Amino acid sequence: MAQDSTPTWQDLLDLVTQLTESDLESASVSFGDISVSISRTGELPSLAAASAAPGASAATAPSTPAATVAAAPAATTSGPAITAPMLGVFYRRPSPGADPFVAPGDAVEPDTTIGIIEIMKLMNPVVAGTTGVIASFAVEDGTAVQFGETLALLEPAAP
Amino acid sequence: MSEPRPVVLVANRGEIAARIVAAAKRIGAESVVAVSAADVDSLAARAADRVLVIGPASAARSYLRPELVAQAAVMAGATVVHPGYGFLSEQPRLCELLEEEGIAFAGPRPETLRAVGDKGSARAVAIAAGVPVAAGRLIDDVADVAGLGAEVGYPLLIKAIHGGGGRGIRLVTTEAELFALAPQAAQEAEAAFGNGDLYLERYYGSARHVEVQVFGDGEGGALIFGDRDCSVQRRHQKLIEECPAPDISEARRAVLHDSSRALVAALRYRGAGTVEFLVDTLSDDIVFLEVNARIQVEHPVTEEAFGIDLVAAQLLLALGRPTGLPVVPALPPASAIEVRINAEDPSADFAPNAGVVSGVVWPKGPGIRIETQIDSGFDFPPYYDSLMAKLIVRAHDREAAVSAMLAAVRNTTIEPLATTLPLLDAVLAHPDFRAGSVPTSWFGEHAAALTGGTP
Repeated sequence: MAQDSTPTWQDLLDLVTQLTESDLESASVSFGDISVSISRTGELPSLAAASAAPGASAATAPSTPAATVAAAPAATTSGPAITAPMLGVFYRRPSPGADPFVAPGDAVEPDTTIGIIEIMKLMNPVVAGTTGVIASFAVEDGTAVQFGETLALLEPAAP
Repeated sequence: MSEPRPVVLVANRGEIAARIVAAAKRIGAESVVAVSAADVDSLAARAADRVLVIGPASAARSYLRPELVAQAAVMAGATVVHPGYGFLSEQPRLCELLEEEGIAFAGPRPETLRAVGDKGSARAVAIAAGVPVAAGRLIDDVADVAGLGAEVGYPLLIKAIHGGGGRGIRLVTTEAELFALAPQAAQEAEAAFGNGDLYLERYYGSARHVEVQVFGDGEGGALIFGDRDCSVQRRHQKLIEECPAPDISEARRAVLHDSSRALVAALRYRGAGTVEFLVDTLSDDIVFLEVNARIQVEHPVTEEAFGIDLVAAQLLLALGRPTGLPVVPALPPASAIEVRINAEDPSADFAPNAGVVSGVVWPKGPGIRIETQIDSGFDFPPYYDSLMAKLIVRAHDREAAVSAMLAAVRNTTIEPLATTLPLLDAVLAHPDFRAGSVPTSWFGEHAAALTGGTP
């Protein structure tokens, strides 16, 4: 798919959403000078229950990494967490200055996109993987994250 | 002018990840291991300066993803990535991603990986370099194969050109059999692979697996670090390796080493590699098998026999520094043997097992080296290959090395998992192995006795 005019970020976001809902494993799209590749990494719905979050031994003695690697925070929350399905750079919003995909207080479904993880220019949508209400985000926009790191916390389920 | 401290990203797991971390320390580099969530507490992760968790336990979503490893290298601020063996070590895609980021790859160029990556193109490169290959002929007409059979020689294999994974292969020992089987094989190949084209290849039923360690400067220059015999194999899995290969005449050794040098020059091969050959025990034939464009599991026997550090040399070459590797004679000054201790039960058809290991005791003494991913209390994961440890012993000659290795195996304890230690004991104590070389068919023929029961 190619188109002459330069797309807005909203166009790209719509595209990502469209592709997320499709059965495609991966897709490459170019608009004029801009090209976007998207790959699906599978098993996304199970990610909220991700195994073995990197504990204290991960991110040992962070010296001077090229990008800031967030230290995995100790998970001391009562609500469930949405964790990173892979290592990469986490973006909360489709472009600088754009509205975030979701904000604290927003309700999410398992397939709600809450952000993007960029791996070597590949944009991987991150879905909530569960139903709930976002309580807070654990990492800033544009943070390099590791697999299993907490991205967002949900409100504790109603008793 | 002081250069900044290099950062080595280790893109592997298990014992080789720990080995690469050790080499990074040796050259004064910082080490970062890219691990799956299952390996956060591995020995390599504990030994490294930093750890990056790239994905879940499944290798398909972690260790086998070139873009995740490249992203980790960028995030780590890596100067060089070492891929170890297996996983992405021979995938051109990883080198290319790293090249784009200006990060060095401790391995050959992507085009070399492609040139030797499949048997057909590797054979063509070998023929062009004047390296001996197994006699082989394409069949033009299945009704007229007498001449071709005579050219190749018996016994021979009929192979379907489009076959693979051992399918479409028939062993032929006489001309009469060839007449009978060739048309049948063509029909079957047509049915199975949609193409009835056949190929005749000389069959070596009693050959040894001998390989040559090379180290290329990337410009055509080659250092040859002797040879290894890896003929004790179970279903093509090596169990025991040694350096030098025993019972190889000076003339044969010259063919092996000169052929390997010619291949390195033809490929302008960069870094450590291995050229594998079949050495026939029934004729004078030596034939090329393949090039392994990576560091190999059994590299420590070469390191011990010659007193070198191949992994550190890989890193130094990738960093553009002098490797410090010497020019050595064809035969090393010592003999070294390696055994692979796998988490497999030889008395239960080599069923793999996993779980917490305890009571780990390693042998001690001069010339003993342990390369491992386990220690007492380690939870051996079920997701990956079964190699727990490699035990390497060096001595002044082969006989002494075999005796020392047998003692070392008997003084190794790993509980409570079943391991291949009893099997290794049986091979090391066997008169055939003690006497010298055995062909690759030897283990299979003696498996029942060596595994202490069921074949």
